[in-house]
Amino acid sequence: MAVTASQPGGIADHIHPEPQGFIRKYVFSIDHKIIGIQYIVTSFVFMVLGGLLAELIRIQLMNANGGFMTPDTYNEVYTIHGSTMVWLVIVPMVTGGFGNFVFPLQIGARDVAFPWLNMVSFWMFPPAGLLLYASFLVGAPVAGWTEYPPVSLQGGPGTSMWCAAIFLVGVGTTLTGINFLVTALKMRAPGMTFTRMPLFVWAQFATAPLVMIATTALAAALAALFMERQFGVPFYDPTKGGSPLLWQHMFWFYSHPAVYIMILPVFGIISEVFPTFARKPIFGYKMIAFSSISIALLGFMVWAHHMFTSGLAPFLQLPFMIMTMVIAIPTGIKVFSWLATLWGGKIQYTTAMLFAIAFIATFTLGGISGVFLAAIPFDLWAHGTYFIVAHIHYVLVGGSLTGIFAGMFYWYPKMTGRFMNETLGRWTFWLFVIGLNGTFVPMHWLGLMGMPRRVAEYDPQFQTINRVESLFSFVMTFAILLFFINALWSIRHGKRAGHNPWHARTLEWQIPSPPPYYNFKHIPTVLANPYAFDEPVPYAGLEDELTDSPVPIPAGAH
Amino acid sequence: MRAALAADQFYQETRDLRVTGFLLFMVSDLVLFSSFIFAYLYLRNTGQGWPPPGAPHLNLALAALNSVVLFGSGATIHFALENWKHEKFMKFAGWTLATIVLGIMFLSGQGIEYYSLYTVDHASWAGSGIFGASFFTLTGMHGLHVFAGIIYLTVLLLQATQGKYTFKHYTGLTLGTLYWHFVDVIWVVLFSIFYLI
Ligand code: HEM
Ligand SMILES: [Cu+2]
Repeated sequence: MAVTASQPGGIADHIHPEPQGFIRKYVFSIDHKIIGIQYIVTSFVFMVLGGLLAELIRIQLMNANGGFMTPDTYNEVYTIHGSTMVWLVIVPMVTGGFGNFVFPLQIGARDVAFPWLNMVSFWMFPPAGLLLYASFLVGAPVAGWTEYPPVSLQGGPGTSMWCAAIFLVGVGTTLTGINFLVTALKMRAPGMTFTRMPLFVWAQFATAPLVMIATTALAAALAALFMERQFGVPFYDPTKGGSPLLWQHMFWFYSHPAVYIMILPVFGIISEVFPTFARKPIFGYKMIAFSSISIALLGFMVWAHHMFTSGLAPFLQLPFMIMTMVIAIPTGIKVFSWLATLWGGKIQYTTAMLFAIAFIATFTLGGISGVFLAAIPFDLWAHGTYFIVAHIHYVLVGGSLTGIFAGMFYWYPKMTGRFMNETLGRWTFWLFVIGLNGTFVPMHWLGLMGMPRRVAEYDPQFQTINRVESLFSFVMTFAILLFFINALWSIRHGKRAGHNPWHARTLEWQIPSPPPYYNFKHIPTVLANPYAFDEPVPYAGLEDELTDSPVPIPAGAH
Repeated sequence: MRAALAADQFYQETRDLRVTGFLLFMVSDLVLFSSFIFAYLYLRNTGQGWPPPGAPHLNLALAALNSVVLFGSGATIHFALENWKHEKFMKFAGWTLATIVLGIMFLSGQGIEYYSLYTVDHASWAGSGIFGASFFTLTGMHGLHVFAGIIYLTVLLLQATQGKYTFKHYTGLTLGTLYWHFVDVIWVVLFSIFYLI
């Protein structure tokens, strides 16, 4: 197997004719860059919906006796909130979104391995989202995003729609995973050996198999739930010999790897933003790359840490506890490598960099609460309380979403040719960080004091803290609103950025912004890894990219 | 000459991509089967013993015969592709046709098994507890795969007769063969876990 497939005249050198017409160019596009932006935009649209639901939750919780909506509606609202944020926002954003836009450019390819399949993957996503929201019309699922039976067996018809929606979006993600893995293996530019790949590419490379394997396991669990609900085929119903624990095993066998699907690509974003704005080579390139791989592998061996209170056989609990703690090691390696990258760097405090720095702090807090939870005695206390809510929001909002904002500010000039407004960006940043911590820090206390999660009414002693959280959540929502305004406004009015405003060194920055549909006139040759900041960029064959020279038709293309 | 070389390289690399992608697709599919197999083994080992009360009797002899049929088809499809590589079109067509016929025989055998389970033992997908859930779901999924494979091979055979593939460029045929072997291997596992243990 050749390490790199791209040779002059080969498949990677193939230039399609430029697509014509609005539909072929922007709707049913097969261009990875357009598809990436489609994913990003669609995910943000669903983030607005999921965010609205979040604010409904926070309004309900401002009073100990609720009263804003019925407990049944409340159950539907948090279920769809969680499902949206996981499957319609974070997962598609970091894989299909940033993955599609950035990663083929970074390996010097003209597209992914199967462009047409890529389009199909994307078009499973919006209908799946609509299906999920349509479930509100017939009675949405009520058992939380984890949909444990037997409750999920009893919920209204919307639960089956939930199964179908998540299945559909999952198939799309799986196909993307296959596509990316082949792309990473076969489409790299000549000279791009594994140890010369940018760290974002490493992150996508580690994520792709996770996506492929874990999501398929979820598909099986969902199909079984669907069959049981619609046709009465017993898998999970204990009165018919099934087992609710079976669902938990299958669900977490997917969903634990899924948390790494949601964070590994973001690690990749951070690993690009830090060296660029610290003007320093990334510290521990190989350690960061290999820790991604080891996280991906270990991620399959820890799922039962979600089931410590579910009646798991005692001899199984200890290994799962130990493995979970072991996985914190590669994560820690990354955090220390990033900190060492900052050490002694000439740091430029752009908005992207601010978000990346905040990521380190908030994500690490989430990681620490995770290690707490991995300790069985602590988990017995904290399971099912707001401590879990605090943990997942620190890793997903303080981790994934913060990293996504860093990535948006960083790559927006590449996507559009213009900067996002930095002043507005700073406002976004500070309000977001304040809102985020104000909302989620107190949830740790609530959890330790024993406030259960997923309840529409609660003990009055928790009311003050809940009100404070709600106020801060409005601040955070306002910050996100500012981000949207900024992103929309800057498409037309942002300052022009030129092709490489950050003086970054990966391949996507060596070509015009936005890149032409064929990406590179000539596939470049890669001479070293991109992070040696005191040397010239390590590529050959890029001379024509920024000039007016005609686009060559490579030999062998047809 | 240069153009021809480049075209050949183009073909080789496209083939490389498609075969790799197809292998990964089969890995995903394998995970799908594995998940249901896990579910079956889990339910089997955590319930009140196996076979569960009222579970029907499977016809081991029929299934064994059926397995031989399917393994035979694994051999015939192998011969088909080898003959293609040796540029013997008629033999290729014959062996492919034999594979399709064996596939249909396998499905008929499955049909007989299902029919007798239904009429004699009154077993059904939803009505036979976790036995029905695991047995009919898994063998049904596999049967659908065989069915899809029969369609797939038929299409490939038609395309081949119409000259879609050349003796040098035949990625589609390779993929079809891979798929058929995959379906074969899945059956080995299903046969063992339902009929042998
Ligand atoms: C150092 C790394 C981490 C450790 C040790 C860890 C540990 C844990 C444990 C033990 C639980 C189960 C708690 C319970 O339900 O009783 C849990 C739940 C969870 N974690 Fe983490 N975690 C880590 C990082 C992450 C990351 C990076 C993400 C996502 C990006 C994440 C997302 C979640 C989610 C979504 C849940 C659970 C949800 C639920 O029940 O709804 N975790 N974590
Ligand atoms: Cu987990």
